[in-house]
Amino acid sequence: MEVINKSQAFDTSSETSIDSLIEDNTTSLADNNTPTIPGEIIIEEISRNHKLLHRHCLQQNNINIGRDYHNDIILTDPYICPKHLSFTFADGVWHVKDNDSVNGSLIEHIKSKKVKHELQAKPQVINNGDVISLGKSQLRILFKNHQVADTIPYSPFEYLIDLIRNPVAVVMSIALFMLIAAYNTYLNQSTEINISQLLVNAFTKGLLYSIWPASVALISHLTKNDPRTLAQIGISFTFFIVMWMAELVTEIAEFNSASNNLVPIIGTILSIILAFSLFWLNNYIGFQTTAKRRIIIALGFTALLFGGDYLIQYSNQPEFDPRPHYNSTIMAPSYLIAPSNNVERFINESNTLFEQANQAAQDSD
Amino acid sequence: MKVFFTLIFILLSYNAFADEQAEAIFAQLTPSLYQIKLIDKASGEKSSIGSGFQISEDGIIATNYHVISSYARHPEKYRIEYLDHQGNTDEMDLVSVDVINDLALVKRTVTNAMPYFQISDEKPIKGEQLFALGNPHDLGMIVVPGTYNGLKKESFNERIHFTGSINSGMSGGPVVNNKEKVVGINVATSGNQIGFLVPHDKLVTLFNIYKKQSENVSTLVTHDLIKQQISSQLIANQNKLMDALLNNTWQSKELAGKAIIPIIDVPFIRCWGDSNADKSDAIIEAVVANCTLDENTFIAAHFFTGNIEIEFSYMRAKDLSDNKFYHLYQKQISHAGAGNVASKDDVTEYQCRHDLITPESSANTTKAMNNKSILCTRAYKDYVGLFDVLYLSASIDKNQQGLVSHFTLAGVNQKNALAFTSKFMEAISWK
Repeated sequence: MEVINKSQAFDTSSETSIDSLIEDNTTSLADNNTPTIPGEIIIEEISRNHKLLHRHCLQQNNINIGRDYHNDIILTDPYICPKHLSFTFADGVWHVKDNDSVNGSLIEHIKSKKVKHELQAKPQVINNGDVISLGKSQLRILFKNHQVADTIPYSPFEYLIDLIRNPVAVVMSIALFMLIAAYNTYLNQSTEINISQLLVNAFTKGLLYSIWPASVALISHLTKNDPRTLAQIGISFTFFIVMWMAELVTEIAEFNSASNNLVPIIGTILSIILAFSLFWLNNYIGFQTTAKRRIIIALGFTALLFGGDYLIQYSNQPEFDPRPHYNSTIMAPSYLIAPSNNVERFINESNTLFEQANQAAQDSD
Repeated sequence: MKVFFTLIFILLSYNAFADEQAEAIFAQLTPSLYQIKLIDKASGEKSSIGSGFQISEDGIIATNYHVISSYARHPEKYRIEYLDHQGNTDEMDLVSVDVINDLALVKRTVTNAMPYFQISDEKPIKGEQLFALGNPHDLGMIVVPGTYNGLKKESFNERIHFTGSINSGMSGGPVVNNKEKVVGINVATSGNQIGFLVPHDKLVTLFNIYKKQSENVSTLVTHDLIKQQISSQLIANQNKLMDALLNNTWQSKELAGKAIIPIIDVPFIRCWGDSNADKSDAIIEAVVANCTLDENTFIAAHFFTGNIEIEFSYMRAKDLSDNKFYHLYQKQISHAGAGNVASKDDVTEYQCRHDLITPESSANTTKAMNNKSILCTRAYKDYVGLFDVLYLSASIDKNQQGLVSHFTLAGVNQKNALAFTSKFMEAISWK
């Protein structure tokens, strides 16, 4: 019994100490302001992922929230009661109480992350930054003295994006992309080809590739962000061109190098980096989010693209492939920089190939 | 007119004589003829059939290796049975094989000494009438008269060209002369009365080796011994073949008047050529020459070895940019495949390497050719030390023309493969 008494005593003492602290604060506030001024509060309606939907700035001591039209803030959510919540301001402190609502309300203190308490009919102190969930809606409570985040300086990306979203630049990047697409079609065609065929092909490819930036812009529009369609198109097509150039450089490197080197690995890493950068920039342009989230999303998309590609290749691989796999890249003599080897060295170095094959045969037994 | 009648008469009487003889031969030899059946143990049904003939009084029966190959590779799955002319059937043991000449010796249990086929000690003469015996398509034992037409020229390992119908199921059956002595063994057909036989001396060699071995050690022949036997036969045969190729002086030949390619002048390698000179709409002019050794040594239903392919293709752009020409040219070398059939149980997957190569023989001359060369190999799992090799090379030093040189070797050892590759690479240049 004694123990319980003691703990109760401790509880009450701690409560009083908090109360006195708050009171101290409010008295100091009250000292600065004339006591006749009513309480000021900002109530934000926010979405599930904490996006702002509406902001209410109120200067009164009693605020009622609910579904009926007597309320100061009317919420149309059908899971909310007609008279759901009441806020009262007294002695410089805001209190909140749930008016015995059907579905209840939960309060999440900004300091105790993710821990939600049921709101009672008894008034409870509310602090700056607290989030109240009622029905399927959420409200964030802020006071005037709420600290806002530091101003973000313009990053170099902003200048780059401004440059890229210039209509002239966008048109030029699309035109260059289509030119490259047409040239590739021309190279791969083993019969005579006419210009209109090339143009139609290039145009189709351009349309096909613009689905990506268009859908990113659409998604950012749907999620209440600025779509910045031109910037998305500009950056995507610029990257498509850069990727094609990276591919060309890798091809030249592969052509000029013997096997068993790092060129294919470097080529893959390069394309992974480029893809990641494109996804990151798409995200940067289209969505307001934290740097960490942005990296995670870009990494996720890169993993999805390359991982998916790898999985498709892996699942299509037959159990036993009777065909050899080798690098067959050959290019016109003007791309040739590397010196040639002689037959004797090639033959000597090829001994290892037979040893590898022998090893593979023994391993499979 | 009189002469004509005489001729007809001679022909008729000759035919009548042949028929009589065939009948006599058949009646006399049939107790020593067998149908050989491979029975799948699990289902109890036959999985392949062939023919065989007894060659000793103690029950040694000769047949083709390909008739019993499934048993040689997977003895746990099958058993070998014979069916004699009286309908008796019993299990047999595999005692020896010769994969190169497609021969096998199996042994039945005998209680008393039995009649058997005599093997001839001399070769037939061209035009001589022979009689092929066997059981085609499980239809019963038959005798087919035909003519000896010498040895097949294009074959590295000797085969008799026999003019007469040999059908599947007759494989392993004997071919006898009119003295009822065996001069060959049915092995293959290419339709329309063209049949191929294994010469009798191959069987004599195999039988003598077997006799010598069984005198020394009278132990049971195990599966590992058969595997070893196949392995050493394949190794010996590729050594013989590669020696013949490497010791031959390769002739230099022009291709399309632009490139110098090697031609191996041996009778068993045959060459063919083609070009697209007749196609006026082609944007690349192409000339192709290829040479092959069609020696498909049968090891299993999906495993052949021993063949060689050599191919050269010269290409010249008619009116194209360098980039486009090289783009299309690259397609010529991007899908090379193996020259022989082999499955997962038989070989590893290919391992490849590539490099830029200028052969020493023509370096620093106007003939010098700079190539991208690719070498791939896969190892045999059961026959250690043997490989399939694929080589592919494309010239990369002329803007509007190129030469692709390519070969595949099947079932060769590392030393021979590399020696051949080296000789081949040095033999190619521009003109």
